[in-house]
Amino acid sequence: MPEEIKAHITGIVFQVAAKPGDRLQAGDPVIVLESMKMEIPVEMPRAGAVKEIRVREGQTVQEGDTVAVLE
Amino acid sequence: MGMKERADDLAGRRHRARAMGGVDAVARQHASGKLTARERIDLLFDAGSFTEIGIQATHAGVSPEMVGKETPADGVVTGFGRIDGRFASVIAYDFTVMAGSMGRTAEVKCNRVREIAYTKRMPMIWLIDSAGARIQEAIGSRNFAGSGLLFREESIMSGVVPQVAAMMGPGAAGTAYIPALADFVPMVKGTSHMALGGPPLVKAVIGEDVTPEELGGSKVHCEISGVGDLEVEDDRACLAVIREYLSYFPSSNLELPPRRACDDPAERRDDDLLEIVPDNPRRAYDVRKVIRAVVDRGHVFELKPAWARNIVVGLARLAGQPIGVVANQPMVLGGALDNDAADKATRFIMLCDAFNIPLVFLQDVPGFLVGSKVERAGIIRHGAKMLYAVSEATVPKLTVVLRKAYGAGYFVMCGRAYEPDLIVAWPTAEISVMGPEGGTNIIFRKEISSAADPEAERARRVEEFRKLIDPYRAAGAALVDDVIDPRETRPTLIRALEMARTKKVERPWKKHGVMPV
Repeated sequence: MPEEIKAHITGIVFQVAAKPGDRLQAGDPVIVLESMKMEIPVEMPRAGAVKEIRVREGQTVQEGDTVAVLE
Repeated sequence: MGMKERADDLAGRRHRARAMGGVDAVARQHASGKLTARERIDLLFDAGSFTEIGIQATHAGVSPEMVGKETPADGVVTGFGRIDGRFASVIAYDFTVMAGSMGRTAEVKCNRVREIAYTKRMPMIWLIDSAGARIQEAIGSRNFAGSGLLFREESIMSGVVPQVAAMMGPGAAGTAYIPALADFVPMVKGTSHMALGGPPLVKAVIGEDVTPEELGGSKVHCEISGVGDLEVEDDRACLAVIREYLSYFPSSNLELPPRRACDDPAERRDDDLLEIVPDNPRRAYDVRKVIRAVVDRGHVFELKPAWARNIVVGLARLAGQPIGVVANQPMVLGGALDNDAADKATRFIMLCDAFNIPLVFLQDVPGFLVGSKVERAGIIRHGAKMLYAVSEATVPKLTVVLRKAYGAGYFVMCGRAYEPDLIVAWPTAEISVMGPEGGTNIIFRKEISSAADPEAERARRVEEFRKLIDPYRAAGAALVDDVIDPRETRPTLIRALEMARTKKVERPWKKHGVMPV
């Protein structure tokens, strides 16, 4: 079942750390946000495969925005 | 009846009371993964030290529904015993007797042992496993109108004696205020839950279908609501953490916390401290590694570890002296402070201050979260609450700036103006009202936009700004007491702690302040 990963803080996408098809473990970074002078990873909530990345580097995302979708 | 027969009769009565709700009810208690109230008390106190009060109690006989019912000890085991040799008072609800419901006589017993704790100044411990008020004896205005004494007493004695409320089963309705007003609330996974209104009431009043676990299980309260302090695996673990928690505390606010012999050298310099904070100032790391490298034997007793994880609070020791550690956690939200983090830290600072436990602040804080969402949620008053608590605290306060010390984050983490008895910085410290990027954009906006190459100009200005925030500027103005090698953290803190033992701060008289909440 697809599952959306949402940003937990407002910030700028500093790095897209995963691509569609990647199989990752719980806690692995999917993207890294730049916010509050820090690089803050948005992590895999569980082990699984990335289906879709919805953001690109440099883009501003709001807290609660979907940044990626899991298989 | 002669005295021997009377003595035998007494022994029989005691035996029946100790059998609690009977063999079947005890078997059901065990089958549900729980120990009985009496087994719990045996594990809580030093062997053989428990003295019971009120074992002969029985229900008050005020309700027609109760006629013919037996309620051994009236469903609650009460008394006093010793933990590591020091006295504490206990109220253990017995779920095998009418689901541990609080009857009228039970209340008399509870009042009695609270009085012991409060007048003799010793910790009060509740082991909660109770369906709540015994409705048969509590219903009606005549019975209810005068009730609620315990919450007033618990409030008044808050900060006078340590109060622990362990959730070891249900704690429904009013019972949930016992943990809410207590200092420390461990919750047993799977068997404990608390809610102001249990599932049947919730269904009746608002139509929501919810299980007790979803409504108020240990995960809900230890990860989401913040009402619980620590999730523990089972009853044994729960009783062990109560003993450990109290080992850091004096019996009352009139005493100093107990010191222990310590085999961890005060001069220990841990080389790991050179590796933990990353070179890149925007990179996260786990601040708990710093705490472990500094405190005695690397051991910290963390409170609320799964809630508001952007700040770490916990009890530990330095050279055997109990301390409270407050540390920003860059691993979560970059260590930025939000409402829950302010709540967590404020409560912990007040707890330590109330019981004479010195505070150690480890700063790496990019500031408070900003934006419309947190402003609407009242982050100003939450931040103010932490300012208030750190200002009020008169225990020894020691501050180490590990890295970021930005804006009000620096203040609430006991910056120089908040009376730290020592404030030192690691060479990586950045102390500033705001960060280089944000500051440069505001101060040099015109210069940057009018430059031939704005990006290069911005980068140059940011680098210049960065030089202004290094700790040697603050140390040069004698506004931090020293810049230290990270490996010197433990010996530095221990020496400062010993120096600050005689700290005495007088505050102007007031009834109480008006705390932002």
